[in-house]
Amino acid sequence: MAADVYILGGYQTDFARNWSKERKHILALMREAVQGAMSATGIESEAIEVAHVGNFAAELYCMQGHLGAFFVETDPAFSGLPTGRHEAACASGSIALLAASAEIEAGRYDLSCVLGVEQMKTVSASEGGAFLGTAAWYELEAKGIDFPFPKLFGKLGDEYERRYGLKDEHLAAISAINYANARLNPNAQTRNWYMNQDHAEARDEYNGQVGGRICLSDCSQVTDGAVAVFLASEKAAREYARGRGIPLESLPRIQGWGHHTARLRFVDKVAESASSPYVLPHVRATITDAFTRAQIPDVSAIDGIETHDCFTTSEYMAIDHFGITPPGESYRAIEAGEIALGGRIPINPSGGLIGAGHPVGATGVRQLLDAYKQVTGTAGGYQIEGARRIATLNIGGSGTTSVSFIVGR
Amino acid sequence: MADQGQSTERAQEEATSASPRGLDRRIEHVVILGANGTMGYGSGALFTRAAPRVSFLARSKEKAEAGLASAIAQVRSATVARRVETGSYDDLEARLADADLIFEAVAERLEVKRPLFERVDACRRSDAIVATVTSGLSIDALAEGRSESFRRHFAGLHFFNPPNVIVGTELVAGRATDPAILEFLERYAARELGREMVRVADRPGFAGNRIGFKVLNEVAQLSEEHGPLLMDRLIGPYTGRALPPLRTIDLVGWDVHRAIVENVYANAPDEAHASLALPAYMRTLIEAGVLGRKSGRGFFAKEGERRLVLDPKRMEHRPIEEIELPELRFIDEIAALHRVGRYREAMRCFAEAEGEHASLARKVIAGYLSYALHRVGEVCEQLGGIDRIMAFGFNWAAPGLLLDTLGARTCAAMMREAELPIPPLLEQALSSGRIETFMDPSITNQGRYFVAG
Repeated sequence: MAADVYILGGYQTDFARNWSKERKHILALMREAVQGAMSATGIESEAIEVAHVGNFAAELYCMQGHLGAFFVETDPAFSGLPTGRHEAACASGSIALLAASAEIEAGRYDLSCVLGVEQMKTVSASEGGAFLGTAAWYELEAKGIDFPFPKLFGKLGDEYERRYGLKDEHLAAISAINYANARLNPNAQTRNWYMNQDHAEARDEYNGQVGGRICLSDCSQVTDGAVAVFLASEKAAREYARGRGIPLESLPRIQGWGHHTARLRFVDKVAESASSPYVLPHVRATITDAFTRAQIPDVSAIDGIETHDCFTTSEYMAIDHFGITPPGESYRAIEAGEIALGGRIPINPSGGLIGAGHPVGATGVRQLLDAYKQVTGTAGGYQIEGARRIATLNIGGSGTTSVSFIVGR
Repeated sequence: MADQGQSTERAQEEATSASPRGLDRRIEHVVILGANGTMGYGSGALFTRAAPRVSFLARSKEKAEAGLASAIAQVRSATVARRVETGSYDDLEARLADADLIFEAVAERLEVKRPLFERVDACRRSDAIVATVTSGLSIDALAEGRSESFRRHFAGLHFFNPPNVIVGTELVAGRATDPAILEFLERYAARELGREMVRVADRPGFAGNRIGFKVLNEVAQLSEEHGPLLMDRLIGPYTGRALPPLRTIDLVGWDVHRAIVENVYANAPDEAHASLALPAYMRTLIEAGVLGRKSGRGFFAKEGERRLVLDPKRMEHRPIEEIELPELRFIDEIAALHRVGRYREAMRCFAEAEGEHASLARKVIAGYLSYALHRVGEVCEQLGGIDRIMAFGFNWAAPGLLLDTLGARTCAAMMREAELPIPPLLEQALSSGRIETFMDPSITNQGRYFVAG
């Protein structure tokens, strides 16, 4: 039995901000998240023993590597702090969380800060689209292709269509729900954007096709953002709880996790899954591993999900992969209103990657912080009433690296 | 019979507005008056987010159609049209028959708005809300001569332009406005339209324009001696704003600027009265058609590829490269600190910078703080309201944020250096010895307003 890993809270920057327009360096983003997390929790910089940074491609977007070292620049007390940076495309944040929690389980450290960060608005949309292409097998799947990722996730929709049938109106509903939830989230990038089901279903100059069946309204956003959270051993969590006069049991824990990496190319993944009822079986295994480690039977033990909706098709895939419906029947949960806030199993109350935004390396950490907010009843306008256990699913590439956490009290 | 009918209607209406049902009222049909104007179509698009039917009315159906086209382009969604009907004021009576909310956005002049309100008063449903988007005309003056029912249901709902981007919104009560109507509008606009609502008093320019245009006008005054290029650099984005002051005046239009500062100057004499006097050169140039960006010429202009800047003394434009700015190393230092998120150190650098230009920059910022804090109790009950409208309406570092970033003592010292009166709120905080933070941290991220340039 692994040692418990507690979550002590954290901080998210406002994902609507454009830090390039503010003429800021990525360090400013990192500093706000780290300093914000310390103010939000009352944790002093001297108490932090180690830091992990999740980031996808600062080398491309900001011409800057070695982001672990930049963590040290976020506070004068951090000189000498052990730090490192982790990369797994859009799952970078979750990989950083896994590394930090493994160290705590191993007893190396008691208090760890995990920071996810990406500054993406430094370049044009098409240039950024090419950078994102490096999360696929660039030479084989992305080179010379405009916006390769919408096309890859369009193919995920096509595969669903081939195996089970898929209607665009269901994808539009996923988009509309995420945007509606984002309106309730004061840190969501799209909280004031104009969106509704009609618009998501429209096929016109304002909702053009980006790749295959993927239209603008099906896409997550290009986002500048950073999120920091604190992970703690039982010892550090006990101390934290004592200092605040709260019981240890009131602090959320990572109850379970799953982590698998599939083959890089989308065609190889689909070929491998030909005999499986699940289009992306390694994603399914990631989720069931997390359930098993959390000692829960299935999704019925979960009160809500923060999933990786880089495109509406990835959320459509998550619905049956989580077991909310049998494989291929995700549309039933959408039609029954189950995934909306107030439904049986709300998905992305924060707005997800489509509504809240998708600063690539920060997303996994943002999901964990939102799970923390839900189970501590501090999610404000997007709170799931009475939430006690939340699952996350963070995906890098075209369903390649998958990480899931179960957060509960 | 007629009397009896009216009194029954009154009783019903009172029961509706006094009971919690007043908050449950549904807005099914919104009528926009002046839907071809910038604020008209912008607000109209916003209302289609929440209301199933929105009528765009203008002087002609063609103008209303043009407003609809602009609304679609502004929010980039053709679906706006599915919720909008267009018409002219000839249809006013018919359109108002089932209107739940009548939103007025016609030209910003009493003599234009009043006759329209008279017509609205004669045919609106007795429980329909009437809101005006006026940016500073008196709510009471606009409602003068209207029926009691009209005045009870009448309020200012001041969106800033463009409303799909700027969420700060002022809610203004007249003397007769029913508190339940205000409460309803506040909740409706916040929840359904995503607004950051700030209750402000019915004073000239309300809160945002009163304070914001005081700063803009002072910079315009100072640019007569120092030139627009230098002034916009000194009070530039590094002092906590997205756009420099004179470029802001060019964007909103010189005529709009004049209307706002003249209204405040004439009707709200205060401790900073002189800084609200429109500079004479601006008055002359406005007469000559210089109106800012919309006329092609303002403080800044473009002639082909040549970028020009106004010489206020000579009242003519000169190529920008002819202007030589002094070395302003302190601004570069501050920007470098902002760039990496060290805002407090950056503003300490601002407070301590030496030389006449740093003093001049501090004088304007101290003037902003002194003026804003003096307005607490006059335009808003609390500093928090002023902070929220300056942040969410103007995209400026709010007074409370600057006080916290610079420190209260430093701000007081800056005011003394500029021979400005210390506001009672700051005086009390200093004399009590217990200086707490002024800004509610939930209002805004600290660094977003400090641009590194």
